[in-house]
Amino acid sequence: MSDTAAAGESRGAPAGHPDDVLRVRDLSTRFFTEEGQVNAVESVSFTVRDGEIFGIVGESGSGKSVTALSLIDLVDSPGRVTGGEVWYRDADLAEEFRDRLPDAVDGEFVDTRRLPKGVRRALRGPAFSMVFQDPMSSLNPSVTVGEQIAEAVEVQRRATANPRRTRSRTQGYGMGKLIADTLLPNRGFTSESSMNRAIELLEQVGIPDPAERAHEYPHQFSGGMLQRAMIAQALAGEPDVLIADEPTTALDVTIQAQILNLLRDLQEQAGTSVVMITHDLGVIARMCNRVGVMYAGQIVERGTLSDVFETPVHPYTQGLLGSIPDLDDPAPRLQPIEGNVPSLLDEEMGGRCFFADRCPKAMTDCLQPISEYDADPGSDEHTARCVLAEREFSEADALPPDHFDRNEEVRGDE
Amino acid sequence: MGYGRFLLKRGVQGVGVVWGVVTVVFVLRFITPGSPIDTVAPLDASQETRQRIAEELGLDQPLYVQYLDYLAELLQGNMGYSYISSIPASVQVFQKLPATLELAVAASLVAVALSIPLGVISATRRHEPADYAATSFSLLGISTPNFWLGIMLVLVFAVELNVFPTSGRAYGFGQTLAAITGPEPFFTVATAWLASLFLPAITLGTYFTALITRLVRSGMLDELSQGYVRATRAKGLPETLVRYKHVLRNTLVPVVTVLGLQLGTLIGGAVITEAVFAWPGLGTEIIRAINARDWPILQGSLIVIGCGFVLLNIAVDALYAYLDPRVVAE
Repeated sequence: MSDTAAAGESRGAPAGHPDDVLRVRDLSTRFFTEEGQVNAVESVSFTVRDGEIFGIVGESGSGKSVTALSLIDLVDSPGRVTGGEVWYRDADLAEEFRDRLPDAVDGEFVDTRRLPKGVRRALRGPAFSMVFQDPMSSLNPSVTVGEQIAEAVEVQRRATANPRRTRSRTQGYGMGKLIADTLLPNRGFTSESSMNRAIELLEQVGIPDPAERAHEYPHQFSGGMLQRAMIAQALAGEPDVLIADEPTTALDVTIQAQILNLLRDLQEQAGTSVVMITHDLGVIARMCNRVGVMYAGQIVERGTLSDVFETPVHPYTQGLLGSIPDLDDPAPRLQPIEGNVPSLLDEEMGGRCFFADRCPKAMTDCLQPISEYDADPGSDEHTARCVLAEREFSEADALPPDHFDRNEEVRGDE
Repeated sequence: MGYGRFLLKRGVQGVGVVWGVVTVVFVLRFITPGSPIDTVAPLDASQETRQRIAEELGLDQPLYVQYLDYLAELLQGNMGYSYISSIPASVQVFQKLPATLELAVAASLVAVALSIPLGVISATRRHEPADYAATSFSLLGISTPNFWLGIMLVLVFAVELNVFPTSGRAYGFGQTLAAITGPEPFFTVATAWLASLFLPAITLGTYFTALITRLVRSGMLDELSQGYVRATRAKGLPETLVRYKHVLRNTLVPVVTVLGLQLGTLIGGAVITEAVFAWPGLGTEIIRAINARDWPILQGSLIVIGCGFVLLNIAVDALYAYLDPRVVAE
């Protein structure tokens, strides 16, 4: 971790697969709260390829959603992305910034974190877009569903109407225009053709009578229909990377399957890459090509679906997989992971493997910062943030079971 | 439920409220000490003269007859005659109403024009100097009494600096409009009109400005933390649109309610400001009527103010339904 930070200035995009559309390196997001600094995302790296579904799985509070928000630069105060790079493949954008910001460009890749703020905003929609967990609270209750989707269409239309595309996107939509559009009849931000496109999108996501439903308000939609509308809105900018943050968690079980099928169909049709964030291993197994397992703000293990599900290295991944029932063999009791997700407060974390206090195989080696190890020499995709990727567990080095309890007592006495 | 039915329902409720106001105003006269006959009759009037006056004014009838008579007259638009000048109360009240309306509207324009931008700046630059300035201003504005502020403004701007008139109303809005085509020079009339309106409007509008600034600030902060704001940003919408088309609009829903209700209070509350600035409006008229026990004028004024309240409420409901479509659905 320390060597990457030292060399982090201008070394270009990380190496990866030729199909990569997104390469994230050492992304860190901190929240500066009154209780102290919370390291919600800690040095996360992963890649996403063209037309694949990349899954991020983890417990509540493991930093999955903050990772998603960090990707599209939507972390709200008191949170801030404090480090790392998000390399996104876009040949045009790379060309435009090659001379102006040489550090931010490498081949066809641009580091979106180093681009000006306006350009980063302009990437939302055509490059990245997001489907949120709760559709009810993610749409404005007092604007019709169609209008909200049409806005997403319109903002991209206006941008592409101008050949200098990033420039025109960064030009704000000023107060004067807004007041004129609001007060003058037959004027508005959205045009009729955008509205028609919105209706098309609604039809595409399987909403019956889209032309009528477009003029209804979110409270007139059911949860499932609203999530479909959210997906339509996210697709409006024809994004390269669609981030789906727990897209089915707020929905009924029967609707969940429909929404997942819809996402998969749309993804296959458009060839969009999807980052699927969920706590549900079933969703991951069903949808994803590759997966990253998050724990305490870090990706502790990543690889292809079979790497992670069939030959997990990290004891946390093993624990997660052990906690789901097996339909073929329901006899054994489920194995919960003992303990809770640790506090992510900076001063309480220390430089060690964050899972060590719950880990059945914790050793003295685990008390130092752990880097990502190649878990499988055969494939360069399977990595784990665990010493067990490098060596076997040995009883001789094992930490005594009360190691962390004792430390807490000592701290408490002070 | 359609928009029309929604308004009709509010209208019917409004009529009920107005009837209630009329009844209270009518009863008020009988629980207040002192008979109007004392005011009207000469000091040395005989019992017969007093009896004759009572008959003339209908005061000798039983209470319910007087009440029904009063309602019947009101329905025909007759509010009675001033005990003092014998001018119809409706004429007297409606003569004074424009000045008060003008003042109330001017005060609310000042308030809206200042408070919404202040509130927005305050909320979007939370914990920055601009926010502290706006919140301090609103705290001061809320805690400053009207009459004191009025007198201070007169002292500074009228007496010391001599930029505004101390009191009175030079021209009305109507006269100013007429001056566009009339013989008087429009510019002189308009400046005189605005100059006389300026200090009273500021005095009356300050509390209101402060109140709405606070409402807009807290409402906007509340809205900004809603999930849809993040989703709206995620689809790439410019910040101007996020803030004003989405967030501010939703913030304005509760603000409009308070605005409407407060406008009613402004008309009633103008009494003190009018007294400070000798503004020839309904407030001054009410004080005069109370002192003279001129009941028809007082009743007429109160009923007009009550109707104003009701109409404003209906307007607020209508606007509310426009801003937040869920209201009509419920």
